[in-house]
Amino acid sequence: MNVSSHGPNRGALPGGGSRMFSRLRRSVVRMCSGARGIFSLAVIGCWIVVAVVSRFWTPQTLYGTDGYHAWSAPSPDHWLGRDGTGADMLSWLMAGSWTDLVIVVLTIVLAALIGIALIAAMVSRARGVSGVVTVAVDALISIPTVLIALVLAVPFGASIAVVIVACGVGYGLNLARIARPEAVLIARSDFVESAVSCGASQAYILIRHILPNLMSTMLVQLSLSAGTVVLAESGLTYLGIGVPSGVPSWGRSLATSVRFIAIHPMTVVWPGLVVTLVVVALNMFGDLLRDRWDTGATRDEEDES
Amino acid sequence: MPEYRGVHGSSGATEDRRRRGRAKRALPDASLDDALNERIRPMRVAGRSGWWGLLAAVIAIGVVVGIAAPWRGSANSGPGLIGAAHRMSIGLKLAPGNLDIRTQSGAALDQILIGNVYEGLVARDGENKVVPGLAESWDSSPDGLVYTFRLHRGMRFSNGHALHADDVAWSINELRARGYQDSEQLEDVSSVTAPDAATVRIALKAPYASLLWVLTGRPGLVFDRRAHYDRATQAVGSGPYTITRYVPNSVITLQADDRYWGARKARTARIDVRYFADDTAAVNALRSGDVQVLAPLTQSLAQPFVDDPAQYEVKVGEGTDKFVLAFNGTGAATSDLRVRQAIRYAIDRRQLIASRGGADAPLGGPIPSLDPGYEDLTGLYPHDPAKAKRLMAETGHDRAHPLRLTLTYAHIYGSELGDQLRSQLRPIGIDLHVEVVEFATWLQDVYTNHDYDLSLVDHNESHDFYLWADPDYYFGYDNPTVQRLYRQASRASNPQDNARILAQAARIVSRDAPADWLFNYRITTATVKGVQGFPVNLNQTLLPLADVTYTPGKE
Repeated sequence: MNVSSHGPNRGALPGGGSRMFSRLRRSVVRMCSGARGIFSLAVIGCWIVVAVVSRFWTPQTLYGTDGYHAWSAPSPDHWLGRDGTGADMLSWLMAGSWTDLVIVVLTIVLAALIGIALIAAMVSRARGVSGVVTVAVDALISIPTVLIALVLAVPFGASIAVVIVACGVGYGLNLARIARPEAVLIARSDFVESAVSCGASQAYILIRHILPNLMSTMLVQLSLSAGTVVLAESGLTYLGIGVPSGVPSWGRSLATSVRFIAIHPMTVVWPGLVVTLVVVALNMFGDLLRDRWDTGATRDEEDES
Repeated sequence: MPEYRGVHGSSGATEDRRRRGRAKRALPDASLDDALNERIRPMRVAGRSGWWGLLAAVIAIGVVVGIAAPWRGSANSGPGLIGAAHRMSIGLKLAPGNLDIRTQSGAALDQILIGNVYEGLVARDGENKVVPGLAESWDSSPDGLVYTFRLHRGMRFSNGHALHADDVAWSINELRARGYQDSEQLEDVSSVTAPDAATVRIALKAPYASLLWVLTGRPGLVFDRRAHYDRATQAVGSGPYTITRYVPNSVITLQADDRYWGARKARTARIDVRYFADDTAAVNALRSGDVQVLAPLTQSLAQPFVDDPAQYEVKVGEGTDKFVLAFNGTGAATSDLRVRQAIRYAIDRRQLIASRGGADAPLGGPIPSLDPGYEDLTGLYPHDPAKAKRLMAETGHDRAHPLRLTLTYAHIYGSELGDQLRSQLRPIGIDLHVEVVEFATWLQDVYTNHDYDLSLVDHNESHDFYLWADPDYYFGYDNPTVQRLYRQASRASNPQDNARILAQAARIVSRDAPADWLFNYRITTATVKGVQGFPVNLNQTLLPLADVTYTPGKE
């Protein structure tokens, strides 16, 4: 069944969700040919491996505080030295990579869900719903993520959920706002019109036609957001409304040592370096995904013709 | 009667252990610090005439000395030492909300105003002992119910008004009648009268051992009832300084009152007190010469200054700050004495102190060394993990089946203490969940609603043993013997009995383990070389600056 597979709209293709994913796979494979692609995939890969390993093994136990050796310099047992409680810097950074990975993944999932829900409402055929939601998104997008987090932190206290919800809502709104023009264009395209005329339901059109065609925009936007989530986690934790005390995260490692930057600069450099590397890698990944996607799309067309 | 030492006695100093054998003090006729001088007289430098340039050439040491010459001249005519700077800056941390010491709470106000701008009937020295203030001497009736103070002669306020006994009586009566800050400390006073111009008599309803100490604080301050000024932004008192500039949360400028009545006039003509909420900014200010003194700073932040003894001095002063890890006396798990004792045995306080830089002192009970009733109680609960494990095992908990407790404290104390406590309690079978919250949340949950297992607060007040005699306080500690002893101590007619009974009560409190006293926080003060007379003990509540001088050293 593919009423509209020969539709005239070249930019937006009807149907073909699986084709989108194969195209994504091909884009990722092509990325590996460039230095930037190798770098970003290597960093992200390392991050995931370290995060998983830290669930089972860290060089030192996280609770191995030793007040007599607080801030001590790197040694064979403590490769990056110790923090202000005498705990091993490297172990905390490794364990922090798991927390950050969880936060990034859950935030992206939440942002995608919120974004899709909002897009669905905005392309809805019920004029009232789409109008109100569009205006609401435009208004809500002006509220900074930090403010949402601050408001959430008052009743719930500092927690990982606050970071995820604040960022998820913020980036979900962003995603909806950015994807809306394209979504509206697709919703009005001929193949959607013909599907409607064949009696397709709104849900069917959304899942079968609109979302697959929005996939490239959404993936690029979400991968760029992923980098921002890492930064937001560090920032919110530094403000005391992010990851709670006792839970390892990069932001926490930064927040506890940044007060002593003048005396123990290296203890700030390590978590700072990790955050920088990962954010650069995620942003680069997003950029490449966008670049390759367009080229990839063209080549796909060529392949088809 | 103690010898008259001026309105505020000098503070003793404990020199930093790592820096004994101080380098020779800069010579009085040393040339002045060029950077400082540059900052102070930029206009003069800019508008310098040829004469000054010639002078600089003649002296041939450089512009530095050329600038120094006129400046030293003016310093000589001032009240300071020969060669001492006319002006200096000190950096503090917490700024007062406004200058109205009658209605605005906060130790920052006591710190800047008491002994500098306002003076009390009596004063306190650096050992927290009562010394003469406006009163040169006093005595009390044998039953401890009437105190008679004899005032100095010829006292005056900075606006020229004379200060007599009726000003003292008016000030104290006004405080009691209007319920100004700390007026509850004078609940036992029945009347304050001025039988003649140089005598003040305070009558009590019942003996009150802490009366004199209380009068060194806000309740004893004397105000000019004929002066009209905006109390929130100005201050008119009888002290050695007047306030010439007040920028909220930023700067307070103290100007020496040349006509100060007392013998102990201010030795530095002008002191700019600057407030730094941010530690890094404070450290940078000291390093760049914007301030010559910084107090307090943490030991870790002080390390670069300790390592540079040629330019800086770092001293550690005694204080009355007690870091209290309170156990909720009415909590489900913490009402069990064995749990509380186990926690006390499990905590390695020396390690906590070491991680903070080693300046703080161990404290085994509710009374710090500068308060009456102090005894070394650190031996009651030594660090003994084996004993802690046994006690927890009796309650049915071990490492595999831990007891879950929550520690709630304000983020201002940093996350390190919570992390360390969690690590230290884990082996004995306590899974400590640490919640670092906003101070307002702590106030709401712990202080008001008593909804907590463990809490950590720096109780910084002096003479605050009464907290342990109040069963409704957030500690939830209710021991009738301690309450009886406390009443007895406050009714003691002489300080020795008072201290003896308090010590007895403090020992009982510590043994009952309603809390663990992690350490007695000691205040670290860093100064550039050449600063003399800056109080280091108790300087977060009591900072008489009359003796401070700064003699810039030879670079």
